[in-house]
Amino acid sequence: MSGWNYVVTAQKPTNVTHSCVGYFTNPQELNLIIAKCTRIEIHLLTASGLQSMLDVPLYGRIATLELFRPPGESQDVLFISFERYKFCVLQWDAETGSPITRAMGDVSDRTGRPTDNGQIGIVDPDCRLIGLHLYDGMFKVIPIDNKGQLKEAFNIRLEELQVLDIKFLYGCANPTIAVLYQDNKDARHVKTYEVNLKEKDFGEGPWLQNNLDNGAGLLIPVPLPLGGAIIIGEQTIVYYNGSVFKAIPIRPSITKAYGRVDSDGSRYLLSDHNGMLYLLVISHDKERVSALNVEPLGETSAASTLSYLDNGVVFVGSSYGDSQLIRLNHQADVKGSYVEVLESFVNLGPIVDLCVVDLERQGQGQVVTCSGAFKDGSLRIVRNGIGINEQASVELQGIKGMWSLRASSSDVYDTFLVVSFISETRILAMNTDDELEETEIDGFDSEAQTLFCHNAVHDQLVQVTAGSLRLVNAKTRKQLTEWKAPAPMTINVATANASQVLLATGGGNLVYIEIGQGTLTGVAHSQLEYEISCLDINPVGENPERSNLVAVGMWTDISVRIFALPSLTLINKEMLGGEIIPRSVLFCSFDGLAYLLCAVGDGHLFNFMLNPSTGELSDRKKISLGTQPIALRTFRSKNTTHVFAASDRPTVIYSSNKKLLYSNVNLKEVNHMCPFNSASFPDSLAIGKEGELTIGTIDDIQKLHIRTVPLGERPCRIAHQEQSRSFAICSAKYSQGPNNEDIETHYVRLIEDQTFEITSGFALDLYEIGCSIITCSFTDDSNVYYCVGTAYALPEESEPTKGRILVFLVEDGKLQLVAEKEMKGAVYNLNAFNGKLLAGINQKIALYKWTLRDGTRVLEIESSHHGHILALYVQSRGDFIVVGDLMKSISLLIYKK
Amino acid sequence: MWRGLRGREVGATRPRSLATHVRADRVRQINLSGHKEIVSAHNSGINSLQIDCTEARYLLAGAADGSVGVYDTQQPTFMDSAIKVAKHEALFTVDKSVPQGHIYSVTCVQWYPVDTGLFVTGSFDKKINLWDTNTHQVELQFEMPEKVHAIAMSSIAATHMLVAAGTEDVRIRLCDLASGACTHTLSGHRDGVWALQWSATSEWVLYSGGCDGAIRFWDIRRAGCFQVLDQNRSQIERRSNVTSSTQRQELASAPVGSSSTSEMQRPVAKRTKPSTVSKPSKIAKIKDPGVRRSHPGMTLANDRSTAHHGSVTALQTSDDGLNLFSAGTDSRVRLWDIESGRNTLVNYEATKIRTHQGTQLAVSMDSSLLFVPSAHSLQVIEISL
Repeated sequence: MSGWNYVVTAQKPTNVTHSCVGYFTNPQELNLIIAKCTRIEIHLLTASGLQSMLDVPLYGRIATLELFRPPGESQDVLFISFERYKFCVLQWDAETGSPITRAMGDVSDRTGRPTDNGQIGIVDPDCRLIGLHLYDGMFKVIPIDNKGQLKEAFNIRLEELQVLDIKFLYGCANPTIAVLYQDNKDARHVKTYEVNLKEKDFGEGPWLQNNLDNGAGLLIPVPLPLGGAIIIGEQTIVYYNGSVFKAIPIRPSITKAYGRVDSDGSRYLLSDHNGMLYLLVISHDKERVSALNVEPLGETSAASTLSYLDNGVVFVGSSYGDSQLIRLNHQADVKGSYVEVLESFVNLGPIVDLCVVDLERQGQGQVVTCSGAFKDGSLRIVRNGIGINEQASVELQGIKGMWSLRASSSDVYDTFLVVSFISETRILAMNTDDELEETEIDGFDSEAQTLFCHNAVHDQLVQVTAGSLRLVNAKTRKQLTEWKAPAPMTINVATANASQVLLATGGGNLVYIEIGQGTLTGVAHSQLEYEISCLDINPVGENPERSNLVAVGMWTDISVRIFALPSLTLINKEMLGGEIIPRSVLFCSFDGLAYLLCAVGDGHLFNFMLNPSTGELSDRKKISLGTQPIALRTFRSKNTTHVFAASDRPTVIYSSNKKLLYSNVNLKEVNHMCPFNSASFPDSLAIGKEGELTIGTIDDIQKLHIRTVPLGERPCRIAHQEQSRSFAICSAKYSQGPNNEDIETHYVRLIEDQTFEITSGFALDLYEIGCSIITCSFTDDSNVYYCVGTAYALPEESEPTKGRILVFLVEDGKLQLVAEKEMKGAVYNLNAFNGKLLAGINQKIALYKWTLRDGTRVLEIESSHHGHILALYVQSRGDFIVVGDLMKSISLLIYKK
Repeated sequence: MWRGLRGREVGATRPRSLATHVRADRVRQINLSGHKEIVSAHNSGINSLQIDCTEARYLLAGAADGSVGVYDTQQPTFMDSAIKVAKHEALFTVDKSVPQGHIYSVTCVQWYPVDTGLFVTGSFDKKINLWDTNTHQVELQFEMPEKVHAIAMSSIAATHMLVAAGTEDVRIRLCDLASGACTHTLSGHRDGVWALQWSATSEWVLYSGGCDGAIRFWDIRRAGCFQVLDQNRSQIERRSNVTSSTQRQELASAPVGSSSTSEMQRPVAKRTKPSTVSKPSKIAKIKDPGVRRSHPGMTLANDRSTAHHGSVTALQTSDDGLNLFSAGTDSRVRLWDIESGRNTLVNYEATKIRTHQGTQLAVSMDSSLLFVPSAHSLQVIEISL
C-alpha cells in the first residue's frame, strides 16, 4: 500500500450546463461561452462557423454563468459562481489573449439551508448589482458601483422559501427582481421586489401574480420597450407586466431552457424535456403586447441551455445528449422540422454505468459506457490510443525493412512497396485490380537485402544494398550507375534523401555521396573511431531536398553526433549515457520546431530540440516507450507530419501546442512501418508485424476515440459476456401515450459486441425496472448466464416491495429466460460470489445458490444479512463483502460456511 | 426512493436534495427502535440529553440524582441474543462520589462544541462543572447564586468560549471557560431563566427565555437586550416602497441578522480593491447596528411584552438560523421569525407542558419536524413554515 496512484483525466467534461453569447474578447466580435462542469470554453463567431479560442479550467463546478457589461466599458465581462459558494468576474486581456480575474470572493454563509432548486446568479440589466440566491430565505446582493467595481455583499431576507426562479426585470428605476415561488400549499406565484441598496432591504415591487400554472418553472424577463416577464408553465405561458396580462395554453411539456432571439425580446426559443424546440413569438405594437404564439420547430438534443448566435444559428447545450449547433431554416423539411444540425459535440455524460472490455483482444481495454438520458441515451465506446483499420494483409515471414516508392517524382501516390528480407528484396505493386502483386524493377538488386531505397531528384530511384548503391531511372527502371563500397568493406547502414546519400561501411567509415542526373559523386569521407549504428539525413531546414546536417548514432561510446554537410565535420556530440546503443535517429519538425529523436535498443527514446542552422541540441528528454528496439519513421496523416515508433508498444509521436505527445497505437507488436499512400489505399500505412504485412489507415491522431451507438432509449446498466461475445443492458424506453402522458417501459437487451446491434430483447413487466445486471456462472454448471435484478416501482409505493432476479442464457444470439425468483424488494445489485449469487435487496444482503430441483435449475436462498437501510452498492472479493449503504456508510461482511 | 436514486444517477436531482428527502422520509417514520436499547445508569429521571456535535455518536445524559452518563449510540456493549436487542451501557458515569461532583439534580448538560474532550453540566446545587471526558474529573467549577436551570455554548463561536447560564436568579451569567471567571451578567428578566440558546448565525447573539414569559435577544457586545419578543406582534410592517420613502423608524426593529450579515460580507474581498478600503470590520460591526438600532428592549413599552403566558421552558433555533421555536408552561409552542421578531402565529397543536424546570425541544435537520416533550409523550409536530 506504499505506492501512489497517478490519476489523470482522460476526457475533459463534456456536459454543457450553461452558455452565453456576448462581446467578451472583442467589442466587435461575438463570442459564445460554454460552461462544461469545471471548464469554460470561449468560441468566436466567424463567417465560417464557430472557432474555438480558449479552454479555461476553473477550480470548482460552475453553478451560474452570466455575461454583463459594466457601465462605460465596450466589452462584456463574465460573472461565474461556483457550487462551493465562490464567485469570480473574468475579463479578457487582449494582450496576453487570456482571461484575467477582475474580482473574486466567497459568498458562503455559515448557516443557511442550501436551496433545493439549484443556485441562482443574476446580474441587473442596468448593471447595478449582482443577485445570488444560494440559501433558502436569503437573497445575497453584490452591489456594482458606477465604475463597475464590486462592493461589499449583503444578505436580504427573502420570505419565500421555495424559490423556483428569480430574474431581474428590465426598465425599472430601481433594480427589481421577479421571484417565482411555491407556497406551502404547493401553489405557485410570482412576486416582485425592488432592491434598496442604501437600506440593504427589499421594497415592495410593482406587481405580483398569484396562482399560476402548477408547473410554472421558468421566468423570462422581457426587455424594453415591453418590459414585464413571461412565466413558462407546463400547460400555459403567461405574459404579465403589471397591466397587460396574456396567457395561452400549450401542449403539456416541461420547458428546460430558453434562448432570446431578438434583442427587443419579441421572439424566444424554448426547449422542453423531450428536446422539442419551440419558437415563442410575442406580437406587439412596440408598447403593448397583443398576443403570444408558440410554434414547434423540430427536435434537438434535450437542451440544458440555448444560445441564439446569429443568422438562425443556435447553440443547443445539453447535459443528456450531444450538444449541437443547429440552423433554423425558413422552410420545413420533409419531416416538418425547421431544424438542421450543423455540428454535434460529443457528450459522454451522464455516465450511469460502464464496463471495461478488451474486444479486439489486444491487451488494450476499452470502456463501454451507458451515456445520455431519456431519448438521447446511447452506448459510447471510449478507446485510448490510435487504432489501425486494417485494409489488406499478406502473410510474409522475416521482413527486414520496407519502403514505398513512387513510380515517378511527379506522382501523388505511391506505387511500389519495397520489402526487404535477409537475402532478397521483393517489390510489391498495385495492379489494375487494386491487388497487391509482386513485380520487379530491373535496375534493383533483388538478390540482396535492401538497406534503404528512396525516390531521388531527376526522376530517379536509389537502392542501397550491402554491396552497392544503385541509381535507377524511374521511367525506364534501368540502372543508371552504381557505386560499390571498396572491398572488403560492406555497407552496414545507409540513409538518403532526394539528393543526398549517406553510407556507413564497416570500421566507422562514413561516406557522403551526392546524387546528380545519372551520377553519384562521392563528396566526403570521414573515419570515425567507432562503428556506426544508425544514420539520418532527413531534411529539416528550408530546402526539402537537401539537408545540411547528419545525425549519427555510435556504437561503443553510446553517443549521437551531428555532422555538417557537405564537409562531414563534427559539430556536436551528445553522450546518451548507459550501455544501450542507439538504434534509430531521426530529424523531424513539428509545428515549425525541429527535433532530433533518438531511440535506443531498450525501448527508450531521447528527444532533443534542434537548431537546424547550427546543429545545436538542447532540451534533452528521455521517455520509455517499450522494451524492444524502436524504429522511427515519419508519416503524414491529414497533412501533418507524425512519427511512428515501431516496437513492442508501437507509438505515434505528434505535437500539440508545441509539446510532444505520445499516443499508443492499438497494435501488439510492429517491427517495421512505412507510409504507403497508394491510389486504392490512400493515406495508409504498411505495417510489418511478425510474419505478416498489413496495410491499413490510421485513426485521427488524438488520445481518445469515442464511438457512439445511439439507442433511442436510456441504458442504465451494462454487462459484458466474453463467452457469447455480447453485452446485455437494462434500458428504459420513453414514449408518449394516447393522452400525451409519458410512458416508460423497461427492457433487457442483448447487443452483439462487434457490431453493437441489438440482437434480442426481453420486455420487463409494467412498472418493473432493471436495477442491476451481471454475467456469472455457478458451481456445477458450465453455462455462463446473465443475471438481472429488477424492482417494481409502483406509483403508490415510495419504496419498492417487490422485485425479481431473472437468469438468462444466451442461445443463438437470443436471451432465454432460464429461471426467475421473486424478491421482497428492489434488487439494487448483484455479484457473482464463489459460484453463487449475492444480491442486495432493499435492506438485506442475500446469498443464493443454484440448485437442481425436479430437473430444473432454481435459485435457492442460502444465507442473508440484515441491518442495512438500503444496500445500494455491494462488491465482493474472496469471502469479503463490502456494502455501501444509502445512509450508514460502508460495512464489511465476511462469509463463513 | 427509486425515482430519487435514478434522478441522482443521471444528474437530474442534486445529491443533496436526495439526501434531504431520504432524511425527511426517515424522520417521518420515526419509531421506537426494537433492536437498540440504551441502558440507563441513573437511579432517577433524566433531565437533559445531548448528542455530541462532532461525531454525532456520544450521548450525554444528566439525571435528577446528580449523575451524568456518557453513552455510545453506535457501538453496543453487548447483544441480548435472547431478544435480539443491542444494549448500550454507559461508557462512564460521574456523580457525587467524584470530587466536586454535583450533589443535587443535574438540570442541563452540554458537550463542548469543538470536540468530545469536555462537557459542561449545570445543577440545582448552584454549580456549573466543566468535565474532562477522559479523566472523568471536574476541570473547572463556577459558583452560581441560585439553582442552575439552563446552560448554553455557541457552536459557531470562533472568538469566545462562553457558557451562558440561566438560574433562578433574574440575571444571566456568561462564564468564560478560557479564564474560569464569570465575565458578564445580563439583566433584564424579571424572574429565573429556564431556556437559553445561542444564535445559529452570529456568535454574539444569545436568546433567553424566562419564567416571566419573556424571550429576550442579547448582543453580548453591548449592554442590555435589543429585542423582547411579543406574542401579540404578528404583523410584519409592509415593506416600504424604495422610491417613496426612507422611513427609518422601520429599522428600529432591526434585523438580528444584520450583525451576522456584516460577518458574511467579510470574505467577499475584491481583488481589485486595496485592503484599506475594506472597513476595519470589527469597529464597523459594533458601530453599524448601534447607529441603526435604538433599544426596543429597553423602552418601557416593549420591556413588558411577553412571549408566553407563563414560563418559557425551551428555545430552539431552526438549522438555517431564520426561525426560533419556543415552548412555555402555557402549553403552547410558538414559531418566531428571528429577523423581524414577529410571532408567525402558526397554530401548533396544544401540548402539555407542566414542568418546574426547563425542557428541551429538537428540530429535524431539514426543519420539517419539531419534537416537543408533552406530559408522558413526545409530540412530533410538522413545522410548516
